[in-house]
Amino acid sequence: MTAAADVPSPTPTAPSRSAFGAAFDKGFEILCFSAATFLLAALGGIVVSLAIGGWPAFQTFGLNFFVSAEWDPVQEIYGAAGAVTGTLVTASLALLFALPLAFGIAIFLVELCPPLLRRPIGTAVELLAGIPSIVYGMWGLFVFAPWFAKHVQMPIMMSAEPGTLWEKITTGVPNGAGILSASIILAIMILPFIAATMRELLLTIPAQVRESAYGLGSTTFEVVRKVSIPYVRTGAIGAIMLGLGRALGETMAVTFIIGNAHGFPTSIFASGSTIASTIANEFAEATERLHAASLIALGLVLFLITFVVLALARLLIGRQANL
Amino acid sequence: MNAQLENPPETAVLELPPEVVKLAIKDLSFFYGQKQALFDVSVSFAADAVTALIGPSGCGKSTLLRVLNRMYSLYPGQRAQGQVMLDGEDMLSPRVDVATLRARVGMVFQKPTPFPMSIYDNVAYGVKLYEKLSKADMAIRVEDSLRRAALWDEVKDKLKESGLSLSGGQQQRLCVARGIAVKPEVLLLDEPASALDPISTARLEETIAELKRDYTIVIVTHNMGQAARLSDHTGFMYLGKLIEFGETEQLFTNPVTTRARDYITGRFG
Repeated sequence: MTAAADVPSPTPTAPSRSAFGAAFDKGFEILCFSAATFLLAALGGIVVSLAIGGWPAFQTFGLNFFVSAEWDPVQEIYGAAGAVTGTLVTASLALLFALPLAFGIAIFLVELCPPLLRRPIGTAVELLAGIPSIVYGMWGLFVFAPWFAKHVQMPIMMSAEPGTLWEKITTGVPNGAGILSASIILAIMILPFIAATMRELLLTIPAQVRESAYGLGSTTFEVVRKVSIPYVRTGAIGAIMLGLGRALGETMAVTFIIGNAHGFPTSIFASGSTIASTIANEFAEATERLHAASLIALGLVLFLITFVVLALARLLIGRQANL
Repeated sequence: MNAQLENPPETAVLELPPEVVKLAIKDLSFFYGQKQALFDVSVSFAADAVTALIGPSGCGKSTLLRVLNRMYSLYPGQRAQGQVMLDGEDMLSPRVDVATLRARVGMVFQKPTPFPMSIYDNVAYGVKLYEKLSKADMAIRVEDSLRRAALWDEVKDKLKESGLSLSGGQQQRLCVARGIAVKPEVLLLDEPASALDPISTARLEETIAELKRDYTIVIVTHNMGQAARLSDHTGFMYLGKLIEFGETEQLFTNPVTTRARDYITGRFG
């Protein structure tokens, strides 16, 4: 045996792994890719089928479908404007009511709450989010609406001076079901969602940043307004927009309590309808081709509104991120 | 080697002459809930000088800083006993307003903590809480603070940009500028260079050396070289107690206590 035989070969072969590993990885890549494309395909499919299904309505009424509030299944005249207005008004009012409360809850839980209360309140917020929407609807119709009619609607209507604008926007059948009641129920429904998200966001602020602000002598309010909220601004806009998205599409609770009248809502106490409540109410009896097509077209409109809201959120978030 | 005492004392705390003392801590104990973190600490910090606090992790040096501006009062369950006399007035007394105290005793943290606003507004933020300055006066104050923090030349053309857009070292100097803009008397620095690269650290140290002409500075640091370079006095803490306090040169060349000597010569810590 020569000495040279003991020397390792000068060009050692690189350690190689079995070919199976590489093949498996390729398969894994393909699986992930198909999962992602499946989502795109599903989205595209829904949009296309809504467009095809709603086409007869667009064809028959043209632009009038969006402008007219007349919804008359007997004469087969359908216009989406009333439901669209109802949807936008209830969702915006709900957001208006829910936002200050949600901010208050989140800030209280993060900045001010004694540790003993933190868990009960936090749990209550989560439980509120877990109540099924049909329960909100029933509660709204059977408990909230009568109380609301007696203690809020009646006093306001009685005190309104005849002939004033205030009188005009507060008229309505005093049964407690209407645009404002629906907005309040919606607000209660989106409140826990926004509050919980805001709380999570506020908890992401590094302790040292908050301490720096306190360290300069800021009060709690100044820290919240000048540092905490700007710090989570991007996420907060997202949370608010997702809450708005929920309010726009909420069906069961609104169907219960909005009163389900077609046309433009004339006052905050008047009955109205939203896109979702109209579809839920009428789908079972939409036997005429045009009726069904109009409902599907309504669905497409709702889809577009939600899409626009989410796109706006993206746009706002993008702009804030550059700040 | 210096002569070592036969029986080195357990603790050795230098008493400063009263006329140079800005901040005097007397018998300070501190509790995180049930756990005691500081034990009867008594020490004085001189005006217009840098005092460094050194010691192994968990020795209580950061806790001591957090007592000095009552930062602990944000957290229920944390409490302090004893006195912190600033110009002869006890800052721990409930009669002293926390906001006023914090305006007099500023703090800079380990990690840079710029607020989510422009560079200019970051510096102006604290000032606006206490003073109503005209636009021009505010601009002068902001520039002056940024100059003192050695940041002005790097940001003067982009004051409107977000404070978060700066590099880590610049952010930390921005926090120093923000801290001195409210014209505090005491500046607390809690390991201000621990998240910085060597060049940024050097610049920050220059800034601190510059600032000590006008401020009483207390710096907590893990870096003994930094303590030796920057400070006039040094305190060595261990397990919540102040073991030794004295002139920096003396403490680093000829520590009196065994523990301080072991720590400084690298035998533990």
